[in-house]
Amino acid sequence: MSCGMVCTNMGVKAGKRIGVKGEIAAGAKSFVLNLGKDQANILLHFNPRFDVHGDARIIVCNSKDKGEWGAEQRESAFPFQEGTNVEIFITHDPSNLTIALPNNHQFKFPNRLGLQVIDFLNAEGDFTIKSIQLE
Amino acid sequence: MSEKFEILNLDVKAGDTLKIKGKVANDAENFVINLGKSPSELGLHFNPRFKESTIICNSKCANCWQSEHRDNHLPFSRGSEVKFIVSFLGDKFKVKLPDGHEVEFPNRHGYDKISYLSVQGGFKVISFKQE
Repeated sequence: MSCGMVCTNMGVKAGKRIGVKGEIAAGAKSFVLNLGKDQANILLHFNPRFDVHGDARIIVCNSKDKGEWGAEQRESAFPFQEGTNVEIFITHDPSNLTIALPNNHQFKFPNRLGLQVIDFLNAEGDFTIKSIQLE
Repeated sequence: MSEKFEILNLDVKAGDTLKIKGKVANDAENFVINLGKSPSELGLHFNPRFKESTIICNSKCANCWQSEHRDNHLPFSRGSEVKFIVSFLGDKFKVKLPDGHEVEFPNRHGYDKISYLSVQGGFKVISFKQE
């Protein structure tokens, strides 16, 4: 996967919202957004798979604690289209993250690391970040 | 100064514009927006200082500061929410301030791409946009 944008020291506290807008590449196979403390401590690894690793049009989520992956969670909602712009919103509290997708799809992912602050964001794969909103 | 907000692996080319919105801290003495290749290779160091009511611009090469530009027009205050529109024009950087005044600074290192951004001091980033 290509090495995408990395954003550090964002300081987003519980209750605040992170908005990420970007462009999904034409012919996209997969992309990843990671949110957490740093590269080794990821609260949410958000990986929409268009067509990769034998998966088609599914979102795979996970967490990484001190470099170790947790258990995968799969979401069948897939409101993404290759070659279009999308906006994704993430909020967190001590127990969950809430991820809001296009077309009013929303799901939760447990805050397994118990992080209070999200400092780190990065994008990988077939997705280019156009804007970041920290509110 | 507070911890640095940083973005790595940016892909800003000549003709691109960055919009950076944020809130100036109530007790800010100054803040910094840096653009370049890395913390030690900067094409634009943009540094409003409230005590002097001046905006200092500079560049950094191999971790050494170069010669400063000063503009004593500072059209925003502590505690305010402001937006800066930074255009990378190839031969220079142009920063549009909230009142429309523009600060220009030459692209001294002849960068064809900006890959690094950092924000430091009394300015909390609310949004970042690349166009």
